[in-house]
Amino acid sequence: MNEELIIGIDLGTTNSLVGVVDSGFPLVLADRDRDRLTPSCVSWAAEGLPLVGKKAFRSRLLAPERTVSSIKRFIGRTFSDLTSEEREEAGFPLVAGRHDEILVAIDPATLISPEEISALILTCLREIAEDALETTVSRAVITVPAYFNNTQREATKRAAELAGLTVERIINEPTAAALAYGLDKLEESATVAVYDLGGGTFDLSILQMRDGFFEVISTAGDTRLGGDDLDRVIARHFAAILELGELSPGEEATLLARAREVKEALSTEEDVAVRFPFFRGSESFALEMSRRDLEKLLAPVIERTRPIARRAFAEAAGKGAGEVERLILVGGSTRIPLVREKLQEWFGLVPDISQHPDESVALGAAIQAGMLCGRVRQIILVDVTPLSLGIETFGGLMNVIIPRNSTIPVKAGELFTNAVDLQESMAIRVLQGEREMAKDNWLLGDVTVPFTPGPKGSARVGVQFAIDRDGILEVLARDTATGEDHVLEIRHAAVDVDDEAVERMVSESIDCAFDDMNERVWTEAQLKSEELIPAVSEALARVGHLVPADDLAAIEEAVLGVKMAMADEKHDAVALKAANSALDEATQTLAAILVETAFSELDC
Amino acid sequence: MTNFFALLGLPESLGLDPVAVERSWREKSRSLGGTPDRSDPDIDHPDLNQARTTLADPALRLAHWLALRAPEAPADRRIDPALMDLFSTISPVLAKTDQLLARHRRATTALAKAMLTREAIDAQLQIQELLQRIQPLKGGIVEQFDAIEEAAGTGDFQPATRALGQLKFLKRWEEQCRERLLSLIAC
Repeated sequence: MNEELIIGIDLGTTNSLVGVVDSGFPLVLADRDRDRLTPSCVSWAAEGLPLVGKKAFRSRLLAPERTVSSIKRFIGRTFSDLTSEEREEAGFPLVAGRHDEILVAIDPATLISPEEISALILTCLREIAEDALETTVSRAVITVPAYFNNTQREATKRAAELAGLTVERIINEPTAAALAYGLDKLEESATVAVYDLGGGTFDLSILQMRDGFFEVISTAGDTRLGGDDLDRVIARHFAAILELGELSPGEEATLLARAREVKEALSTEEDVAVRFPFFRGSESFALEMSRRDLEKLLAPVIERTRPIARRAFAEAAGKGAGEVERLILVGGSTRIPLVREKLQEWFGLVPDISQHPDESVALGAAIQAGMLCGRVRQIILVDVTPLSLGIETFGGLMNVIIPRNSTIPVKAGELFTNAVDLQESMAIRVLQGEREMAKDNWLLGDVTVPFTPGPKGSARVGVQFAIDRDGILEVLARDTATGEDHVLEIRHAAVDVDDEAVERMVSESIDCAFDDMNERVWTEAQLKSEELIPAVSEALARVGHLVPADDLAAIEEAVLGVKMAMADEKHDAVALKAANSALDEATQTLAAILVETAFSELDC
Repeated sequence: MTNFFALLGLPESLGLDPVAVERSWREKSRSLGGTPDRSDPDIDHPDLNQARTTLADPALRLAHWLALRAPEAPADRRIDPALMDLFSTISPVLAKTDQLLARHRRATTALAKAMLTREAIDAQLQIQELLQRIQPLKGGIVEQFDAIEEAAGTGDFQPATRALGQLKFLKRWEEQCRERLLSLIAC
């Protein structure tokens, strides 16, 4: 075993890669077929060991419910945190474990956690590296989305440990991409923005590069926004155009696979013919799609990155960062021409597409690994914590202890005392997030601060919250009388569910598929309809005269569709959701006119 | 308590040049290197980062300086009349903004969100105006730093505690305004 060697891993939502620094240069390692991308996919055949990577990816159409992809969207999250839409769109059955953790139910006997699935992918990457380097490997740097919270980072670290890897550093994906970008520009000084739109997550980080320092100034993101969402929009469009009605898991998987192909093809072509041979028994379908059609579909999803990016830009400006000079694009979804056009329009910068969209994060991970084992020198990386850390205080408010975008490693302390005589301990709820009310933030867990029993106000315990270089929290307590420090355990918020209930949920999830969720989805869709219909009337009253006649007709038709679906006594949730989506789509121009009008009134 | 001035090798003065703070922090960070193995055991990296954050911010710098010089000095929580006027303006604007942001969070469609654009722009303008009122008030206190140090030289820390009390209010309001502004920008 090469004890010195550290590999860099990009554990992606759709694809993963592994890299290393060799002779001072970072490179991505290829597998035996010379492929550098490994699909982040695991499939369980009826018997035998699970398939990982390419083999699993190929079996997704044959055994969609036994094939897991995009597991990164679920790692480190609780079941109760998932929306019904997320559960429905996962493509495989999800159930709650005993402590509200997410489990993938391949079958009643095979319940697997997202960490275990990620560990299988990481094992595959470790083996690719070992094959390519002809040595065993045990140390790694792993990338995560910048906007991952503490729990998601810890879960990723656990997955690596399960894969037999010691995690030497967790590094944020856009920061890694900036390292790859700046490695040959160490003499330059610049403020750069990295726009990272991957398969399942979006991050925008702004960095200052100067004298070998790579310093992150601000970061913002959405861990539930990426290429997967674009694929789903396209797949839904196919289903609507072809009037497919209810879809089987296999049909859904086929539509998604075709959606992805179309998205990729229309990044270079102007038109494509989309065929669905023998889609439903002997029935085949076909349709034509142009880049313009695609862009109309994708625009609202891409638009969701705009406010996030603006926030990061504004925050960097507020911290005195210089004007952003370069906008570096990474992540497979940045190949879409519309993304590039929109970015230029929004920020007035010609996007820098010099980096390989799929590989730059892995190269950055390799560089960080090289820094840690002394193969790369002269670089100092300074990153930030993406989310504020705080504790719950009186009135259910969040008291921020470490503000977001604080340089890491960082520590901050609070002094606690006993509120009543002979109090032996005090429970603190540790939170992460930006909202004022504690309940609106992520609860990382509870920490119990021990007191030496005595009169009220006599105990003095300093609690130190430290975020390390991996962005992971450690809580230490110091008794000011004895000066003794000890690590406090963060007990994760647990909702105990007994074994029987877990079994029941597994069985229901497999036997009943998503039927039990119909009413919940109906209620959610109904709320959306009730928001949309009056909003359309009000918006038309305000700016209806500016809307083109074609769009007006489409809006009227879509409104009628929603009203009819709402009146359905059978509560067909799928139909109501589809009608809402159609109205949502039909009102995009109207929404854009509203925004433009608001800004133009300002100019006047 | 770690003396951040000493940690960065800087004079224990309120009138520090931010450029000097930055330069010193960079030099020390470089000496730590990028690897845990090559770290200087005498310097704790989180302390170094905290030193930079503290000394670069006037309110935090003053608080740290006071904690080093006169840890027992009683806090002065009185609020100047000028600040009270500002507070009476800030409070309703923030409350109104919070209501708007809550409505925006509840909106699930592009159209419902677009309907709130005009209000969001108005709120941004109001908050920017407030931030413009906070800046000179902060600047005015920072300009007193020399006089505060002089008074401290004679053992009088009252001007320092007074200035710190006012700066804390202003810093808090500035943070609240910036936070709301960022949320509005992200609308």
